[in-house]
Amino acid sequence: MMIINNIETEGYREDMAAPGKSLGLYIHVPFCMKKCNYCDFLSFAGSREEDHRQYFRSLLREIRLNSKIYSNKYYVDSIFIGGGTPSLVEADLIRELIAVVRDCFSVAQNAEISIESNPKTLTEEKLGIYLEAGVNRLSIGAQSFDDELLNRLGRVHCAEDLLKNYSLARACGFRNINLDLMFSVPGQTEPVWLDTLEQATALGPEHISFYGLQLEEGTLFSVMHKEGRLKETDDETDRSMYYSAVKLLKEKGYVHYEISNAAMEGYQCRHNLKYWSMDDYLGLGLGAHSFLGGVRYSNTDDLAEYIRIGNNIASQTSRNRTQKPESPFTVWRHQNTKEENMSEYLFTGLRKRKGIELADFKERFGAAPEEIYGDVLKKYQKSGLIEIDGGCLRLTEKGVDISNGVLAEFI
Amino acid sequence: MNSYQQFIRNFCIIAHIDHGKSTLADRIIENTGLVSQREMKEQFLDNMELERERGITIKLQTTRLVYKAKDGHEYIFNLIDTPGHVDFTYEVSRSLAACEGAVLIVDATQGVEAQTLANVYLALDEDLEILPVINKIDLASARPDEAKQEIEDIIGIDAHDAPLVSAKEGIGIEEVLEAIVARIPAPKGDADGRLKALIFDSYYDNYRGVVVYTRIFDGKIKKGDVIRLMNTRKKYEVTEVGVYAPGPVPTSELSAGEVGYICASIKQVADARVGDTITLDSEPAEEPLPGYKKVQPMVYCGIYPAGTEKYENVKDALEKLQVNDAAFHFEPETSTALGFGFRCGFLGLLHMEIIVERLEREFDLGIITTSPSVTYTVVMNDGREEMIQNPSNLPPPLQIRHIEEPIVKADIMIPKEYVGSIMEICQERRGKMLHMEYITETRVQLHYEMPLNEVIYDFFDALKSKTRGYGSLDYEFLRYEKSNLVKLDILLNKELVDAFSMIVHESKAYSRGRFVCEKLKEIIPPHQFEVPIQASIGQKVIARETVKAYRKDVLAKCYGGDITRKKKLLEKQKEGKKRMRQFGTVEVPQEAFTAVLKYDDNK
Repeated sequence: MMIINNIETEGYREDMAAPGKSLGLYIHVPFCMKKCNYCDFLSFAGSREEDHRQYFRSLLREIRLNSKIYSNKYYVDSIFIGGGTPSLVEADLIRELIAVVRDCFSVAQNAEISIESNPKTLTEEKLGIYLEAGVNRLSIGAQSFDDELLNRLGRVHCAEDLLKNYSLARACGFRNINLDLMFSVPGQTEPVWLDTLEQATALGPEHISFYGLQLEEGTLFSVMHKEGRLKETDDETDRSMYYSAVKLLKEKGYVHYEISNAAMEGYQCRHNLKYWSMDDYLGLGLGAHSFLGGVRYSNTDDLAEYIRIGNNIASQTSRNRTQKPESPFTVWRHQNTKEENMSEYLFTGLRKRKGIELADFKERFGAAPEEIYGDVLKKYQKSGLIEIDGGCLRLTEKGVDISNGVLAEFI
Repeated sequence: MNSYQQFIRNFCIIAHIDHGKSTLADRIIENTGLVSQREMKEQFLDNMELERERGITIKLQTTRLVYKAKDGHEYIFNLIDTPGHVDFTYEVSRSLAACEGAVLIVDATQGVEAQTLANVYLALDEDLEILPVINKIDLASARPDEAKQEIEDIIGIDAHDAPLVSAKEGIGIEEVLEAIVARIPAPKGDADGRLKALIFDSYYDNYRGVVVYTRIFDGKIKKGDVIRLMNTRKKYEVTEVGVYAPGPVPTSELSAGEVGYICASIKQVADARVGDTITLDSEPAEEPLPGYKKVQPMVYCGIYPAGTEKYENVKDALEKLQVNDAAFHFEPETSTALGFGFRCGFLGLLHMEIIVERLEREFDLGIITTSPSVTYTVVMNDGREEMIQNPSNLPPPLQIRHIEEPIVKADIMIPKEYVGSIMEICQERRGKMLHMEYITETRVQLHYEMPLNEVIYDFFDALKSKTRGYGSLDYEFLRYEKSNLVKLDILLNKELVDAFSMIVHESKAYSRGRFVCEKLKEIIPPHQFEVPIQASIGQKVIARETVKAYRKDVLAKCYGGDITRKKKLLEKQKEGKKRMRQFGTVEVPQEAFTAVLKYDDNK
């Protein structure tokens, strides 16, 4: 097994005086059994195995191509296979995917490798293959433990599927599991939400994401809302659900580390933290976004186009090597200015509950936040929406509730 | 009569909005063979986009046509279009004065309307021959006999010969043309006499300066003549005379009885006022033509640059509009809430709406308009009189002996089933009924005296709404009258916003105050803090609402590292803030200024 050897060799990298910077890989799998009623993510229902295989052919080509541009500058310390529903596709595709990544990039031995899954799609066989391939974090789109609510959300699973799958994952050997949960779902009462939280925490996942439902343009929910068939949860209830979640999770030993995320000590999601810390990440797959050396990129979100580009690469690999170091899948590229970097650092960093470190800001940008955003900071400190404490600038609880208004001021 | 005059017919068309004036005009133009169907824009006379959209004529356009009649002679038709709204009564009367006859269009499905009647009376004042025409006979609901009967009953003219027409379908057009020849008198006037020419419209042309539309009553005019405007006493040298056929066609001269245009390097339309008389400077007429008056604005409002709009842009646009609109006035003013802007005067509400829309559409400006106001006469304790158009300029109550407000005579025509509800809204608006008459079995005309400030507030909207569009209104200024008026102020988060201040009758202050507070509560978005909205008279708060602070505005998640999407959302939020007007700590959407003026059926 050449590949396994390869991992182990590369694994030393982080322990040695690491050459290059750390990199997170986001890999998008845009297939689902069914589109959920609230979802506006880039995913398609009704795909067949041949669709998956065709997509992965392009995806693997994209990975190989990108590795030529980035692998000598970076080592990979997180891989996040998201979607869509990555667990929907044939497990051998995931195995091959990770193998190719390891083949092309230096992947740290302790890299966090996550995969998103839907309870209806998991099997013992699949879970075994994931583990074998090195996946060490399983994210389960649980959303709720209430069947009626799951049905309303348009999920394909029920609470029983969820419980079975969770035990199965544990039995197979997953030691780091995340459950995604949703609140503020129309019709969801606070007791139902609290019950979901109780049931979820009783399972003892290492990580819990708790998202307030947002009505997104183009979803069934938003259509129903416009037609008056769906009533949004009022702000008071929404906030009450949010804070009861924060309180309950703290009581159960979780650390609330990001607006919508809580984890047992040591189990914060390394990959997601990169998004909130202006760390570099490379997005691979349909519509994926990257942030590399102060430049933001995004891939085409047209599936046919994505496949076509992949096919073209195959036919011209040899002469393409000397081309400019940019992926042909990229459709948008933006070099951030220093101002943009500063504002993004703030509006992403303030999602972390500990906030941003003033010293880190100054080191990165050569000036303290107070020097640049003095008036705004003063205004919101005064109104109690942000606080500076222990060298960190953070949103207060009240500030979290209405954070968009605050964060918009940094743009 | 000079011999050429017997083949001229000068006439206009009188009709209520939507009764088909423009369509009939189009058909007449088509049938005289001057303009081919292909060249015709839909509704030839209404040439402004806005006019076509609203189905009304604001600016006049006059056309000379040639019609070969059945008697074998060719006749020159000067079709003089008239503005179709109550705000432009004076302009209408001057256009009518240029004619010998008027084609009166009555919709066979709707009968005679208040506004038609008002214009017919104007035409009768000018001694015009009225030629009734029943239109829309193609519609299933047409009742031509009833329409004829109404004309005879209400107007008192013989209508049994009235041509039955469908302008839309082109039915009966020739009959109308022959009736114009047969019944409308040819113009008279001495072509060798001293020049007397009536200005009945003018517009500004970028290349030729002001183009004056005129009807020659006596004498002749040609290029090179030095003319004198008898009322403004200004002198100009004529650079061009001609006729519109329908584009400008220069001619050697214009003689008594003819209608055409004159260019004389006039800088702005205010210098060639409608109703003024043109004569020759060398041989002036002894008397000007009767009927001249300088039109005065009746309605005022503040116009301010909104958001990032530049003051200079607004000023330039207002200047451009003024060049072409003698009835429109403006001067700079300042508002604490809105900064630098302009106090603008209009003939009426429609005139105001049209100007505001043109600023927004043609000039693409972002503007805020404040509550419309009328001119109040404020009599001070020392007997001094001040004319106040901006509520913010009202002196402190202790210095005021009393305030007078303009009263108008309002003629309202409605189907009889609405009499009760319309009397109610008139009463609510301090109307005094003079009398009521049944014009036909089903139609009623109400005559009221009403304060103009009630009419401009929301009366027209209320009338339309209560009568499902069937009510019509005509009004004219009567006099100033002492009245118990107070200044109503609006405070947002305890700070006075002068742009919302209005002068109202004391009896209406509470309900108006409540209404404005409720409206603002709907429109002002939640802030991070509670926003009290108060209406007050002096120090006394008479109504209050509160905009609750928002509790939640947070993004649950980010989409696979797509920071851009989140950023766009925040940018949008920031953009939204820019479209708001900041008053102290409170952000108010611009539509708030118009929303507080809109008639609300449910209130």
